[in-house]
Amino acid sequence: MTDTPPDVGLTGDGNYFEDFSVGQRMQHFRSATIDEVENNFITKQVMNTAQGHWNEEAMRGSPLGDGRLVFGLITGSMTVGLTSQDTAENALAEVGLDKVRFRKPVHHGDTITAYTEVLSIDDADRDDAGVVRFKHWGRNQGGDVVCELERTVLIKRRSHWVAS
Amino acid sequence: MADEIDWDSFPLARKGNQFQDFTEGQSLPHHWGRTLTAGDNAIFSTATCNWNPMHLNAEYAKAHGHDDVVVNPMLVLCTVVGLSVEDLSEVGGPFLGMEDVTFHRPVYPGDTITAASTVVETRESESRPNVGIVTWHTEAHNQRNELVVDYRRTNLVAKRRAPKDGDT
Repeated sequence: MTDTPPDVGLTGDGNYFEDFSVGQRMQHFRSATIDEVENNFITKQVMNTAQGHWNEEAMRGSPLGDGRLVFGLITGSMTVGLTSQDTAENALAEVGLDKVRFRKPVHHGDTITAYTEVLSIDDADRDDAGVVRFKHWGRNQGGDVVCELERTVLIKRRSHWVAS
Repeated sequence: MADEIDWDSFPLARKGNQFQDFTEGQSLPHHWGRTLTAGDNAIFSTATCNWNPMHLNAEYAKAHGHDDVVVNPMLVLCTVVGLSVEDLSEVGGPFLGMEDVTFHRPVYPGDTITAASTVVETRESESRPNVGIVTWHTEAHNQRNELVVDYRRTNLVAKRRAPKDGDT
């Protein structure tokens, strides 16, 4: 380590622990389309053997919709990813998830937009960070909620990490 | 000659479990394991728009006390679920959700993850007689047998239908 704080210039200044308040809401700026790389490739990369995610013929005429069904945790990971700059750029660690729900089928070509509300803010068991619990939603291009989850993140306190 | 082959004579090498295959308390050690590489982490984190320097900038991660980038916990979670799919849900039904996902410690490039589940509960579906509901507790460990992540997952699971007259 050097004397210079490790994150000078590399991360934003508006997303330290002190910047979050209970009830705060955000629609995240960037949305993302789920297609070959995001579902077909990653689902196989993570060894998910359920071929409905990567065999177009297996899902033809499915009641869940025609064609490859996106693995729910790909939708969940994309939702978390789309929130990450605003919610975890100054995080020390991801603590956990809870109440993860996949509400509607997602297919290749669908576009996810992420929304966040801050549920709680608590001290951590270390002085230089605090714990923030978020509620996230992922919506598709038609406005339907496709996934929702709660997520707990350990986030740096500006008071300890930014030289005044 | 190919056009003389009786394709129906090749029995399907089926995979997966159905509702009747699960009993409460049953242990299911999952297949394969997975060494998560730097490449896995970089591809997954970038493809899911998770450009966090803790996952993608090794010098930044080292300045925060790690020896290398921290593998994106969502990649770890996806991999653990992936390893469990054949045993738990491949032929069962849609993935509905999970509870109490806890990331217990960081995973680093080169770490090897193995997964195992325990059947917590099996019950009938009141509205759909052809499916049941199963809850599992899944744990994943690294190569030092340290707990990395655990969670509970509940799914609708298709029942194996009773044989009918005329079945072979």
